[in-house]
Amino acid sequence: MTGNDASNDGGVPNGAMLVRFVDAVAGDDPGELTAARTAIAETMGGAALTDTAAVAALFDAIDRVADSTGIPLEDEKAAATDSWRAAIGIDDFTAAAEKGSGQ
Amino acid sequence: MTEISYENLPWPVRDDITAAQVRTWEKLGQPGTWLTGAERLAVAAEARNAGSCKLCAARKDALSPEAAQGEHDHLGQLSALEVEQIHRIRTDPGRLSRSWFQGLADQGMVEERYVETVGVIANLVAIDTFTIGLGLDPWPLPSAQPGEPSRLRPVAASRELAWVHTLPPQGAIGTVDEDLYAGRPTAAHIYQAMSLVPACVKGFFDLVVNQYLAPQAMRDFDNEFRAINHAQIELVAGRISALNQCVY
Repeated sequence: MTGNDASNDGGVPNGAMLVRFVDAVAGDDPGELTAARTAIAETMGGAALTDTAAVAALFDAIDRVADSTGIPLEDEKAAATDSWRAAIGIDDFTAAAEKGSGQ
Repeated sequence: MTEISYENLPWPVRDDITAAQVRTWEKLGQPGTWLTGAERLAVAAEARNAGSCKLCAARKDALSPEAAQGEHDHLGQLSALEVEQIHRIRTDPGRLSRSWFQGLADQGMVEERYVETVGVIANLVAIDTFTIGLGLDPWPLPSAQPGEPSRLRPVAASRELAWVHTLPPQGAIGTVDEDLYAGRPTAAHIYQAMSLVPACVKGFFDLVVNQYLAPQAMRDFDNEFRAINHAQIELVAGRISALNQCVY
């Protein structure tokens, strides 16, 4: 689910475009980030671009809060997501065994 | 005085985002609970500096972060222990472990300062990554404000939930920190994560509510609150978290 190909949206409107932007924010290719930003602004509008950037940035931060304090996943969330966490690879993350996933 | 403003951008930034970031930036240079204003700014500067650290780059590429040894490229304002904490959280958060945390503690890490440092890094990342996304230079750090940290520790903090001590919602009831949970008996673990330093929770969740969603909006699927819908928001959140290898 990358690039701007709508067939790769994963059921989310403009999903591929959003994923491309997030990957570019986390990456190190300024040209790709500019292209990804322009694609969202032209297709979804400027407000969608800034809201997307706000969410990506906030979760870039909140991940660090979770990972550096060692909070476990809540039992009810672990149970609710148990059937697909392994399937999409979350249980393979290094921290999975310590933080309530992949046990 | 640094004034965060997005008025000259070609795209609209919601006023509540800007206002929350302005509040966060003002607090960044003020005395905290365990760190002075100057120390909080030193943490922020070191977190930015971590991006160009050669040891961190080598560790990031290594199968195990412990496989790469050496000294961090640092700014010389903080102890080696603090630099290790800041650089690892900034550059490789998904591979932090309880043994790494315990190693810092065994070397004399002060847990309350550790948690406040986490809060400073989180605030910085939430704003710096936003500017990166929009193609802007990072905002200059504010000036340090004089004063001493309050050094107030929640009396009911315990080490039951996480690596760090946290203040359980039930334990906050009837204490000066009761407002942290507004009297609720339960709270999401992520909300409790930095509760050893309640000001860190309140400060960071000011950004959460405005850059992401308010609690009541998160599960209100009958209404949309942003220029992207719930599904799009969660896709973006999930993707960045996957790239960070965040299990939570």
